[in-house]
Amino acid sequence: MAKNKVVSKNMRVAGMKLGLTGLVLAVLFLFLIPMFYGIVTSLKTDNQLSIIGAPWWPAAEGSFNYEGKDYDVYSVPMEDGTVRELALYKKGRKVSEFVDPKNPEAGPFEWEGAWRQLERVWSFSPQWSNFKEAWDTVNFPRLLWNTLVYASVTTFGAVFSSALVAYGFSRFKIPGKGVLFMLMLSTVILPSAVTLIPTYFVFLKLGWVGTWLPLIIPAFFSWGTNTFLLRQFFMSIPRELDEAAMIDGASPLRVFVSIILPTSGPALTAVGLFHFFWAWNDFFGPLIYLAGNPDKFPITVGLTAFNNLYSQSTNLIQAASLISAVIPVIIFFLAQKQFMQGVVVTGVEK
Amino acid sequence: MKKLWLVLAALVIASLVLTACGGAAAPEAPAVEAEAPAEEASAAEEEPMEEEPMEEEAMDSEKTQVRWYVGLGAGTDEGAIPLEEAFVEAYNASQDEIELVLEIVDADNAADTLATQIAAGNPPDIVGPVGIKGRDQFKGAWLDLAPMIEANNYDLSGFDPSMVDFYLVKEEGQLGIPFGIFPSFVLYNKDLFDEAGLPYPPAEYGVPYVDADGVEHEWTIEYMTELAKVLTVDANGNDASMEEFDSENIVQFGWMNQWTDWRGVGTMFGADSLVAEDGTAQMPEQWIEAVKWTYDGFWNSWFIPNGPYGGAEFLQGGGGPFSSGNMGMIQMHTWFLAPWAFDGTTFDWDVAAMPSHNGVTTAKMHADTFGILKASQNSEAAFEVLTYMLSEEHATDLLTIYGGMPARLSLQDDYYGIHAETNLDGKEINWDVIAEGMAYADNPNHESWMPSYLETNDRYNETWNYFANTPDLTEEDIDAEIATLVADLQAIFDAAE
Amino acid sequence: MSFFEGVELLKKDKARGKRKLTGSEKREARTGLAFLSPWMIGFVLFYLLPMIASFVFSLYDFNPAVPDQAKFIGFENWQRALVIDEEVRLSFFRTIHFMAISLPITLSFTLFLAVLMNSEHVIGKNIYRTLFYMPTMIPLVAGVLVWNGVLNEQTGWVNVIIEKLTGIEAVGTEGLRWLADPKLVYYAYTMFGLWGVGNGMIIFLAGLQGVPTEIYEAAQIDGAGWWRRLFRITVPLITPVIFYQLVLSVIASLQYFLAPFVLNDGTGFPEGMTRFYMVYFYKQSFSFFNMGYGATLAWLMFLVALVLTAILFGTAKYWVYYASEER
Repeated sequence: MAKNKVVSKNMRVAGMKLGLTGLVLAVLFLFLIPMFYGIVTSLKTDNQLSIIGAPWWPAAEGSFNYEGKDYDVYSVPMEDGTVRELALYKKGRKVSEFVDPKNPEAGPFEWEGAWRQLERVWSFSPQWSNFKEAWDTVNFPRLLWNTLVYASVTTFGAVFSSALVAYGFSRFKIPGKGVLFMLMLSTVILPSAVTLIPTYFVFLKLGWVGTWLPLIIPAFFSWGTNTFLLRQFFMSIPRELDEAAMIDGASPLRVFVSIILPTSGPALTAVGLFHFFWAWNDFFGPLIYLAGNPDKFPITVGLTAFNNLYSQSTNLIQAASLISAVIPVIIFFLAQKQFMQGVVVTGVEK
Repeated sequence: MKKLWLVLAALVIASLVLTACGGAAAPEAPAVEAEAPAEEASAAEEEPMEEEPMEEEAMDSEKTQVRWYVGLGAGTDEGAIPLEEAFVEAYNASQDEIELVLEIVDADNAADTLATQIAAGNPPDIVGPVGIKGRDQFKGAWLDLAPMIEANNYDLSGFDPSMVDFYLVKEEGQLGIPFGIFPSFVLYNKDLFDEAGLPYPPAEYGVPYVDADGVEHEWTIEYMTELAKVLTVDANGNDASMEEFDSENIVQFGWMNQWTDWRGVGTMFGADSLVAEDGTAQMPEQWIEAVKWTYDGFWNSWFIPNGPYGGAEFLQGGGGPFSSGNMGMIQMHTWFLAPWAFDGTTFDWDVAAMPSHNGVTTAKMHADTFGILKASQNSEAAFEVLTYMLSEEHATDLLTIYGGMPARLSLQDDYYGIHAETNLDGKEINWDVIAEGMAYADNPNHESWMPSYLETNDRYNETWNYFANTPDLTEEDIDAEIATLVADLQAIFDAAE
Repeated sequence: MSFFEGVELLKKDKARGKRKLTGSEKREARTGLAFLSPWMIGFVLFYLLPMIASFVFSLYDFNPAVPDQAKFIGFENWQRALVIDEEVRLSFFRTIHFMAISLPITLSFTLFLAVLMNSEHVIGKNIYRTLFYMPTMIPLVAGVLVWNGVLNEQTGWVNVIIEKLTGIEAVGTEGLRWLADPKLVYYAYTMFGLWGVGNGMIIFLAGLQGVPTEIYEAAQIDGAGWWRRLFRITVPLITPVIFYQLVLSVIASLQYFLAPFVLNDGTGFPEGMTRFYMVYFYKQSFSFFNMGYGATLAWLMFLVALVLTAILFGTAKYWVYYASEER
């Protein structure tokens, strides 16, 4: 009996695993359709996008060079019932002329019917050169480096300062703390677009316009959203831990460093990732404060000129976007290991 | 440890507060602004505080800085930027009084950024190329150049007087000097005409269209519509003039007024304005006709791509629908005749005359120039740069970047060759019909002033989009929508007073 | 200032602050303030002046293109926004309408995904997490292009797949016109929003890491089922994070503007449905250059959002569980 129970439990766990993983894969599939579409698009030729009846996968249309010019190849049903692959030499509404690639010497011959009803001949042909073209047109190394520096420095500043402030909000009785907290949230609630001009004015007077300073320095003075989030996490840490340390004579800063921070790994990582990708995608700030200083542009601003040029060439824009997403994906993949502890690890042991 | 941290933090913060207080106090106390924060030195050659009286102080040591802001019109794409940089470099090498600084902001954000700079007191000096839309959005911000033209004895006789007057704005003055003009024409896909067995549209103004049987037809919008229907084809190869045409599976369209709006389409039927002589809102008769013709093209005769078809993949190309190769004819301007629109295309194309309507032909015109901002601290120096940019020797360099025809008459003859050489690999096209088209330019211009320019623009685009996306409207429905639109425009005009 | 009134709502403990502080309480307050000082200094340096200035704008007829022509007009802008301009009310209710659809869907999907991504039964979570996060790293312009592509009524994959799977006629002008049909457009925008689920997911994931394993194990031994454990243990323990997500989602929904702005230039297409409040604000401020009126609209929205936030904070004590407050 006992053995049976174990078996059935194992069966149940296995079934659960299969079911849940299947569920995730199904959701993921739907979720990634647009992503997949983006990747497929990035591998297409310019032409494929505008050819009717083109396959959804990256493909090259069959063509045949006849007397120095390329002609499209179609599958043509012949009168004798066979289907031949012929090059369309001269298009016409009722009668068109074709050339047989296997027998070009015979010259063009007429075929009656609507050529638009014929199927093109396609072959799988991903255009990796789109990525090369995007890479060659945009100065990716410089743009990515700028962005990486900007995102890393502000992430460090933002996490560090927000953690300090959140600790203050979550652990100390301060008269008027509620008002202060609401004031902090006010900076999140008031749309930043409305304070844009006066903020620009402040940075102009500080002499910071045209430098990275307006984008970096404020991050070191903590941000409303990050602080709010960390406060929520810190408030979920039971006080017994810090009270015990306090009794041992630890200072508040000591408690912060040796108790709060170590227990908040996932939370700090979340805020760090959150801020990092926010900075990575930040567009308007750099645009407005770095105008006229193309050497300092991050990737978002640097890509706009490229996107303007190819505003209709979706394939190249997708290729450039995918290139710019490589570094963030790697960073995320490494950082998310933080979320593998806790429940997950011990849970598996059961 | 705690103490140490506090001391460190206090130091950092205090230094910041010190710099900031000086700055933040400045609006109340303008006297403070002379103090230059020490940090600034390390921030390298950033913008100097422009409030300082530059002209006097800078003379001996520094060059006067003139900022050239690009973004309200052409010039922000990857191809144009190096050419503009080269132009600036050449200018800076040509003299040692002025340092020209280029500032390029992506077109989508150019207006916000410029407004922020102006409002916060950090305005650039020269702005352009700027079309009429940009000029009217920043109404009141432009410097009247007339006094400087006079003081410098600047010679305007090299331009068509009507082009000079184009920039003369009531109560504001001479806001620009003619630079580039962009006439429009019919751009057609030769391959699609061949496939349909149709002869090409007229290659000069005033001649009829000769059909395949040799019969002559007056080149009117009505007849052009007939051609457009034959050029609109479904997946089975049937065209829109046939009974068996399948409107659910269209794969090629015949006509489109590409990248313009109601006023642009309306102007093809006759130039007019949404603003009546007495300042009230109106919808000109022929513009109503234009929208009904377009609606028929969207939903009943199918020869113009409607909203849903407009987004379909087979109409996407480097230069929009025409570049896809699945569009028979469009109305277009010379700025379109550039590599970005034709790179990678395999079809052959040419340009033709615009069709007439009720005996009148109108070929709408775009015009661009550079303006100087009123708020500029160095307007004298900016004017000097401006005259260099528009001069006989250098205007062509800039115009080839932006695809414009020179407004300066003496440069127009050589222009076609240079343009074709730099932009189209020397392709031979029918330039004569483009030049002829200038005689049919729209007056009033289809982009001319309206009260609350962009708000008005938004409002009529909304109605236009509704038509483009709503099938089965009757003529009465359309009239009712237009009546609502005119009433709403009137309200916007009233609010602008 | 009026927005402090909203603050009063949640400042229940203010009364306590009135009595004299003891020495140790003073010390605690001082230490606490030291920790708050980075924010307070940053606030004074970078936020205070711009906030005041933006409020002052609302009393002016102010065009940023011609700042020297700004004219003091008292509360005329406020009168226009509250009484005259009907679009203010309409765009506000559109925003609320959209929020009513998108917020519950997005929040529950995010939580659902985070729970799945944290489940011991799912194999290969690292990869999935990264993939779910990936769209967040795609530049907005590319994202919008992609969605325009897949939602196109003629050639979009979404309609093609729906038609292939269900047989419903989804393709074509008679089919599902996601971005053009006023009845569908909010769902289309919600889908687009779901694509950015990554940030919410990692925040929930971080919250789930904080659920002490012992409680979990104890419950499992007690024989509590998966659902029971989820709703009895997991959810209550991560209420602080749920609360955070809720507050920020409400604020973000009220400020919703970027996607419609990029998708259709803020034209409000179709039929004005996507002219949300902040789109209208942005148009007024940065397209029409009525910066004074724009500032009024922003401050109005600010007051509404502040009150809503304050109310949410007021409800927090009934359902948000903070381990540190358990005494």
